Amino acid sequence: MNTTSSKRISGQMNRQMSLTPRWTETLIMAFQSVAKVKGGLIGAIFISVMLLSAICAQWISPYDPNAQNIIQRFTGPGTAHLLGTDYLGRDILSRIIYGCRIAVLVAFGAVSLSSIIGVFLGVMAGYNEGKKFDYFIIWLFDIVRSFPQIILALAIVAVMGPSLVNVVVALAFTAFPFYGRIARAQTLSVKEADYVKAAEAMGQKPLTIILRHITPNIMAPVIVCLGMDMATMIIWESGLSFLGLGVRPPTASWGIMLRNGYKYIQVSPWMILWPAVAIALSMIAFSLFSEGLRVALDPKERER
Amino acid sequence: MLKYIIKRVLWVIPTLLGVLIILFSLTYLMPGDPASAMLGPRATPELVEELNNRLHLNENMPTRLGYYLLGVVKGDLGTSVWSGHSVSSLISSSLPHTALLAVSSLGVAAVIGVFLGAFGAIRQNSPISRFVTIVSLLGVAVPDFVAALLLVLLFCVKFPILPSIGAGTDGGILGIATHLILPATALGIGWVGYLSRLTRESMVDVLDSDYIRTAKAFALPQRSIAYVYALKNAIIPTITVIGLGVGKLLGGAVFVEIIFNRPGLGKMIVDAVYARDFPVVQGGILVATILFVLANLLADISYGFVNPQIQYD
Repeated sequence: MNTTSSKRISGQMNRQMSLTPRWTETLIMAFQSVAKVKGGLIGAIFISVMLLSAICAQWISPYDPNAQNIIQRFTGPGTAHLLGTDYLGRDILSRIIYGCRIAVLVAFGAVSLSSIIGVFLGVMAGYNEGKKFDYFIIWLFDIVRSFPQIILALAIVAVMGPSLVNVVVALAFTAFPFYGRIARAQTLSVKEADYVKAAEAMGQKPLTIILRHITPNIMAPVIVCLGMDMATMIIWESGLSFLGLGVRPPTASWGIMLRNGYKYIQVSPWMILWPAVAIALSMIAFSLFSEGLRVALDPKERER
Repeated sequence: MLKYIIKRVLWVIPTLLGVLIILFSLTYLMPGDPASAMLGPRATPELVEELNNRLHLNENMPTRLGYYLLGVVKGDLGTSVWSGHSVSSLISSSLPHTALLAVSSLGVAAVIGVFLGAFGAIRQNSPISRFVTIVSLLGVAVPDFVAALLLVLLFCVKFPILPSIGAGTDGGILGIATHLILPATALGIGWVGYLSRLTRESMVDVLDSDYIRTAKAFALPQRSIAYVYALKNAIIPTITVIGLGVGKLLGGAVFVEIIFNRPGLGKMIVDAVYARDFPVVQGGILVATILFVLANLLADISYGFVNPQIQYD
């Protein structure tokens, strides 16, 4: 009885001492303030539509994305096929909707993988500032950052073989140092804060301090990067697929659609035009959204 | 300042060493035996054995790394598995095409972008300012390889007025120039948008600052306040961005060269990837990376010269 109540008290004390808002609260607050920014709401709506079509692709797409209909190939936009058909008579709209799924999968996969690894390494390095480990991590970050990103991703996919998972891994590998550097720089200032000193004085373990007290407080600039980075990942996924080094055909990916469109550029403009529109819309959505995030999370901007 | 420059230059050495180690260890990521992967399924055991000996693939890892580093230091990047040409000769014949493409697109984009941005900041809410917004949104929305495809669609298929294939080296200066228009536009249009937005943002901040107010109080001509006093400081963020942008530019060049069939570095790398010609892939990426590292170095150093306010420890 006595021990449990003292545990509860120390738990409450911990919560009070840490003074750190919970992750979920931060996120909800961020989304609420993004919606207030002009453009941020439009971006958020666009992205929701993308997410929805990625999740519900099989219910909302009018045709099977791989169903061929050779007689009706290269048709322009019409009533039967809203956006027309490609060189095998496949419905372009359905393929765009399924392509959304690949784009969203790669973007979320690569961004979450690279940000988790990057932030963890960056915080660890920042917390151990000036030690050998810190220098090693800085060195590692600088090496990976030296490569032109897409060329490194291309090389990794080339040796590992093209597949969805390998694309995600390759893109995540090229991007993690950018999160790492942000996280490290933020950690350097946050770790001097009183609440971190207090946690140290209370004898909390370094890992607890890093995960509970430092990491939640350095996330704002990282989150801003996430939005823009997803857009970049979508471009690169379609770029790699365009080169034949991304997901394998016949999977519907915007990059593969562009690749086929390029082959038949003399025959039908629609095979290039629609995936280009899809990419453009998702780019605009993510850039509006991340601009909204940036303004929402930046106290200096909020005052304006 | 001098101390910072020396430190910054020396840091390049361990970084490039790491780059070489990563490029070297990429061969270990290959599933199966690298020699048979490079030669394809129909290679005879003798051929595989010969390649293994030539690339020192039979040795243990530290020895192979030693051979590789020694070769690179001596300037020997190996030979192409397919053509038998030395990788450095392949690179030196393809690099000029990429350099011309990159320099012309970024150069033109920087001039147009900075000018548009400055103008947009001076005349806020004017048609030009709105134009800058639209162009920068377009630049964000249409990545370079999509822009390249759309340009081919528009100017080579719908209205066939510009050439879409090759570098035009047979046609003299005029041929090279006309073959450069579309690829350079595809590669540069995003930069015009990005740089114009960046310049406009920093220009708006600078125009708000005290020293500009003082200049106005001294009744200096509007034009020289804007283009001499303000632009000089507003351009600072642009410089670092251009340094970082060389990497993006080289990456974009890969796609643009493939689409326009220009025999540059990017096309060389991708063709070598298709052919599993690994020494060429390694060499091409190494050269692209070195260019990127040098560009960043220059940007970092020049940043200190342009902005004397920055203090280095």
